[in-house]
Amino acid sequence: MRRSVLGVLVVAMVAMALPSVAFPQGVTLRMLMEDVPETHIIKALLPEFERRTGIKVQFEIVQYMDMHAKLVPQLLAAASQYDVLEVDNYWAGEFPAAGWLEPLDGYVARDKFDLKVYLPSMLDMVGYYQGKLYMIPMYNYAMGLIYRTDLMQDSKLNELYRRQYGKPLRVPGSVEEYVRVSEFMRKNAGVAGSAMQGARGDPIVMEWSNYLFSVGGDYYDEKWNARINDAKGIRATELYIKNLLENAPKGATAFNLDDAFRVMSQGQAWSMISYWWMLPQLNDPKKSKVAGKVALAPMPGGIGLNGGWGWAIPKNSAHKKEAWEFIKWVESKEVVKRRALQGHAPTRTDVFNDPDVLKKYPYYKEALQIIAKAKHVPEFQFSAQMIEVVGRELSLAAAKQKAIKQALDDAARELNDLARKANLKK
Amino acid sequence: MRGAATTERRAGVAAARGWSVLASPGLLFVTPTILVLVVALPLVYSLVISFSRFTFLTPRLDRFAGVDNYLKAFADRYFWNSFYVTVKYVVLVVGVEFLLGLLIALLLHGDLRFKGVYYAILTIPMVMSPVGVGLIWKMLLHPGLGVVNYVLSRLGIQEVNWLGSPAMAFWSLLLVDVWQQISFMILVLLAGLVSLPREPFEAAEIDGANSLQRLWYVTVPLLKPVALVAVLIRTIMAFRTYDLVYVMTRGGPGVSTDIISYYIYRTTFMGLDLAQASAVSYLLLVVVLGLTAALFSALLKQEAV
Repeated sequence: MRRSVLGVLVVAMVAMALPSVAFPQGVTLRMLMEDVPETHIIKALLPEFERRTGIKVQFEIVQYMDMHAKLVPQLLAAASQYDVLEVDNYWAGEFPAAGWLEPLDGYVARDKFDLKVYLPSMLDMVGYYQGKLYMIPMYNYAMGLIYRTDLMQDSKLNELYRRQYGKPLRVPGSVEEYVRVSEFMRKNAGVAGSAMQGARGDPIVMEWSNYLFSVGGDYYDEKWNARINDAKGIRATELYIKNLLENAPKGATAFNLDDAFRVMSQGQAWSMISYWWMLPQLNDPKKSKVAGKVALAPMPGGIGLNGGWGWAIPKNSAHKKEAWEFIKWVESKEVVKRRALQGHAPTRTDVFNDPDVLKKYPYYKEALQIIAKAKHVPEFQFSAQMIEVVGRELSLAAAKQKAIKQALDDAARELNDLARKANLKK
Repeated sequence: MRGAATTERRAGVAAARGWSVLASPGLLFVTPTILVLVVALPLVYSLVISFSRFTFLTPRLDRFAGVDNYLKAFADRYFWNSFYVTVKYVVLVVGVEFLLGLLIALLLHGDLRFKGVYYAILTIPMVMSPVGVGLIWKMLLHPGLGVVNYVLSRLGIQEVNWLGSPAMAFWSLLLVDVWQQISFMILVLLAGLVSLPREPFEAAEIDGANSLQRLWYVTVPLLKPVALVAVLIRTIMAFRTYDLVYVMTRGGPGVSTDIISYYIYRTTFMGLDLAQASAVSYLLLVVVLGLTAALFSALLKQEAV
């Protein structure tokens, strides 16, 4: 008996001693990260941060669709098990409005963290919320036009276009012209005009927003009255649905980004309104049959949809100081440049304009223009719900189960309800 | 310390005696607590939430909402649409799986070679994750690049817009669900067939019943309890279908595949309205419970006879 008592004691002591052996300084930052290349790029750089600061970093890597549902319970709890957050711009209104994020103005002022290097459109989207800084822009996914250069340079197509429209065939400058060239390509080039993503939910809303912003429309006016059903909203939607039903590949009403990418990479479409960093994917001969034949341009009409992620610190984290140390390190010029050279989508102008980066990725010049002009969806507590409502109504209109005007009127009514619920209406 | 070691030893002895540990009074005392904590508490908690104004933005239970959340659901035509789509889906998917499953089970019950191989093949879709199944089928059904349309076009049949047309998307979803879940039906029905007593069949044969008569007058009545259980379990499972819809259609095009579990998911994680979502969940629970009770009473009546 005595021996077994002794054995238990020894085991217990060893067990208690173990953690302190493994983590001498103690602090481990836990983060929930999306399973995308960007996360793995940063993960590879982590040992350097750990060596420099003695702070350990642990990534929990999951799919995007699981993130929100995993984050919310943590943010509601007394103490969050995550110490640094990556916040999608969908949640950039919800999280600060719910009071879950630590304001960063104090940290920035204390450490003289330079915010001027960030693109204003990015700071506006995943930086400030109602005048306070809650996030540091991390990543960008603005949308632009990716098109086939070989078809644009084809002499027969050029001649035919000039004969039909009395104008030269060129990269479209407006949404109308874009839909016209799409139609022309579908009829004459043996490909779909646009590889579109018309699936209900965020795919259709993301794509349609480019049309909306480029014709001068918007979700709300400055007093938070819904205006997606005004003349511009209707015009944008008519053009969008015309393109979707006539010039997109068959079945595009159920496509998401992956489905659209497959069509484009198989050489079966002339163009795609997509994230600017889809260009290298389409230029990769291993993934795409049109490698070397695609180029990037701003959304026809000029204003594409902006999207991105920001770093933030939850208010209920026990390691805010260390979390800020991490953000400072991961967003330093040096680390951002190294991330960019491995294919990361930066948010700092000095990295976009860096000669080494431009040498490796010449199209970052166009990308910078796209992001500078891009506009994001309204950010408030109910952004996700707003996208859901608009997605449903657009999908109903695309399925011809509702007239366009009716669908937009119904969406506007619900958008007004959401603005009222969020106490935003002035 | 000494006590712990003794208990340990006792537990070891009990384990050596096998299942007798399950009959120990200690476990009996703990069981109600486990049931309350694991089953009843979340149920009661969500019921309470459904009568409150609890949202993720204001996670408080102190504001009583009465039956507002339920009335709001009844006033929402998309709720009724989801309800309709779900009922249509459950009835059709379980119906098709049952009839087709019974047919295949009867075939497999006959004298067949390589039965083991068939069983193995049948089990594969059942153990796959619905998300994986959805993704695979989404590729197969891709209108321009998918294998299914390619084969159809080779056979001279016009390409089908599987997921892009609102009329077709529902049936495509049904097809994939049947593909994945029919094995369950087949295996349960087959187990039932195998365990049927031989005597009634022999008696019927001696009385001169042909194979169709034997099927209708002997097999079907004898198989009924097993069939009812199979239908019951599949019905409950079908009401909870979610993954396939999320991966394949997101409820679209329009609202053609917007089943109720996806409606609840959206209300929770996009609307952030846990109170409303709980109310709808409870409405769903009532329907499923009602159905379960009806099937159970049919089952018990059967056994009484």
